[in-house]
Amino acid sequence: MIHPKTPHVVDARYMEPPEPFVRTMEMLDTIQPGEKMLLLLFREPHPLYRVLRQNGHAFESELLPDGTFEILIER
Amino acid sequence: MQSPISLDNAPPLAAPFRFFLTAPLFLVLAGLLLIVAGSEIFASRWMPATLALVHLITIGFMLQVMIGALIQVLPVVAGADLRRPLPLAWLVHAALTAGTPLLAAGFLVDSPALLRAAAVLLALGIGGFLLAAIPAVFAQASTSPTIRGLKLSLLGLAGVVALGVTLALGLAHGWLLPYPELTDLHAGWGLVAWAGVLLAAMAYVVVPMFQLTPGYPARPSWWLPPLLLALMLLWSLAVALGWPLLARLAQGALAVCGLAFAGLTLRLQAQRRRARADATSRYWLAGLLAALGALSMFAVATVWPAVTEHPAWTPLFAILLLAGAFISFIAGMLYKIVPFLTWLHLQQGMQPGLPVPNMNRLLPDQAMQRQMFAYLAALALLAGAALRPLWLARPAGAMLAVAGGWLWWNLLSAAWRYTASKRH
Repeated sequence: MIHPKTPHVVDARYMEPPEPFVRTMEMLDTIQPGEKMLLLLFREPHPLYRVLRQNGHAFESELLPDGTFEILIER
Repeated sequence: MQSPISLDNAPPLAAPFRFFLTAPLFLVLAGLLLIVAGSEIFASRWMPATLALVHLITIGFMLQVMIGALIQVLPVVAGADLRRPLPLAWLVHAALTAGTPLLAAGFLVDSPALLRAAAVLLALGIGGFLLAAIPAVFAQASTSPTIRGLKLSLLGLAGVVALGVTLALGLAHGWLLPYPELTDLHAGWGLVAWAGVLLAAMAYVVVPMFQLTPGYPARPSWWLPPLLLALMLLWSLAVALGWPLLARLAQGALAVCGLAFAGLTLRLQAQRRRARADATSRYWLAGLLAALGALSMFAVATVWPAVTEHPAWTPLFAILLLAGAFISFIAGMLYKIVPFLTWLHLQQGMQPGLPVPNMNRLLPDQAMQRQMFAYLAALALLAGAALRPLWLARPAGAMLAVAGGWLWWNLLSAAWRYTASKRH
């Protein structure tokens, strides 16, 4: 795992849409500027990527061997 | 907070829905054809009515839904935006909807003019879709097995269309072609390189998302789509060189890949966290079991080709693969996609403060489950008809028409409820 540890994690792997999106946006609202959060999903959330880009959040994603996508997002 | 999901880049509902609301009608047509033609459809895969029936199902139902769904989901699963989705949907839908019955009629009445017209229309429609989809999808980096699979499936679609148009024009003009070998290849490109690869690419996303299962392990997910395409190329090369043993080897390897994928998906389904089995998970369970049956038959036939001489073998294989596996997977996905899309668009279009009807009210689970049992009855009758065509061909056709019509009704009701909710 290349991603650094962060206490701010949304494990959305067993959530139905649109809950992962809603939870992620809620967490982004609560963390401080410069802090990072981690979203775990079994797919790449392209609609979320679009919103993150529009709002100027930097993010990177990595596919783990078990099929989990780790998406690290900066406030 | 922002609204739950941005629809900025999602095509209007009319784009996919015109496909979804047309496709089940081709299942009804297929059922009616089976009623009219009766047991002769099961006599040989080369009967005109059999060729017509297979294409009503594969192009009329399967391809309609697959292309309609892709126009909708490419921005969501691949970040790939089609430039003008609504005119594209209109063009492709019109060409498929006109081309499919022309092709079926061309087979049935053996008319070169109809076959030619169908080949031109289908080539234009599918070619138009490929011209829009290929640049959009290939512009994206393959950051997930799904995107890689989508790219390769579009090449598979180009392959099946090129072979299909060649065969149709060859029949129309009386060209001397190796028809049995090319037809097998055409079916392989359609069901493996296009439909099979697309199914895998979409399953990586929708199985965990809709059925709350664990994810597909990354390594085999990356490798399955290119492996399937490479084996199809090997099979094609074997036909070109006239090496039947190499063709059988490639077919055997394809069967093993398919069995592994179906087995893995079945295992994921068994680990799902949703306690209650809904229509989608039941449709997928039926589809996976049918796929295991069909692929086992395919594997046996590559080792022991004489087994295909049994009159029930080929019809049973085709029924398990097309009606048992693909139609079940597609119907199961429609039953998630349609309520979700209508709900999503309602949520976006509603004035603040007004309640959005929940997904279960837009398309109640009970209606979906009942239709599914009707479809499973049709499937059982179809499989029975492969063994006892004289007794069961017409009842199977009637039940297929009923189940197809019921699917159409369920989807249409959801569209109506959507329109009604929007007006209030």
